[in-house]
Amino acid sequence: MRTRQKVCVVTFSDTHEAIAFEERCHARGFPGRIIPTPQSISAGCGLAWLIPPGETLPVKDVGAYEAIHEVTLWL
Amino acid sequence: MVQVNAIGDTCPIPVIKAKKAIEALTGADTVEVLVDNDFSVQNLLRMAHEIGAKASAEKTAEGNFRVRMEIGDAASKLENIPEDCLVPAAGRKKRTVVAVTSKCMGSGDDTLGASLMKAFLFSLTQQETLPDTILFYNGGAYLTTEGSASLDDIKTLEAAGVEILTCGTCLNFYGLGEKLRVGGVTNMYAIAEKLLTADLVIRP
Repeated sequence: MRTRQKVCVVTFSDTHEAIAFEERCHARGFPGRIIPTPQSISAGCGLAWLIPPGETLPVKDVGAYEAIHEVTLWL
Repeated sequence: MVQVNAIGDTCPIPVIKAKKAIEALTGADTVEVLVDNDFSVQNLLRMAHEIGAKASAEKTAEGNFRVRMEIGDAASKLENIPEDCLVPAAGRKKRTVVAVTSKCMGSGDDTLGASLMKAFLFSLTQQETLPDTILFYNGGAYLTTEGSASLDDIKTLEAAGVEILTCGTCLNFYGLGEKLRVGGVTNMYAIAEKLLTADLVIRP
């Protein structure tokens, strides 16, 4: 059952930054996944990193990013 | 000959009436159905084709249509025919099929393509209107199997009523037969039928 949930997403200045961030998260077992940047956010890149509800991510330790936003998504 | 009056009836009533008339036959016969719209004509001709009956349609002097079906042993095949509009009438919800043919979305850089495909499948989960069916074939079969980063999204879509089907030949070819984790297995006949009867096919 899909529900609307508030989550945090990390945005990037370009696609290479997003893909590099994804690779580092996977390598270090950090939670989350790549999603298309929600339309409510203005960002330099069309890909964003979704931090699952209830999870935390040491964003600054992972690598370069643009900003962190709170959005509501169907999850 | 048996005549069925379906004047004034809209899809799928003419098909249902024709099915009942055919089922009531005790031997080879001709069933003639009178309808007043082209969608019903198309649906009846399509049904006749599906059961292997010869069929023809003509316009009557009153501006209606007469669909004649020669029923031989075709009645036995009726049980496979859904009582549904085989041809879409105006206003009916479009039947949408998404055909996923690769792990990647688009061609070019595969790393980017894989990220785009993950993003696309997630985006589907965010839509108000979901597709009816998602077909996964060739490299797309990897996405419904163990290790796929999109498994949760595809499971979400399945739970929301989207039919998820993966090509069995493809699973076998890639050695993924035991690793399917969401949806069902299908074959090329079903894939062809889904694609041919869809109102809209989307290939990301």
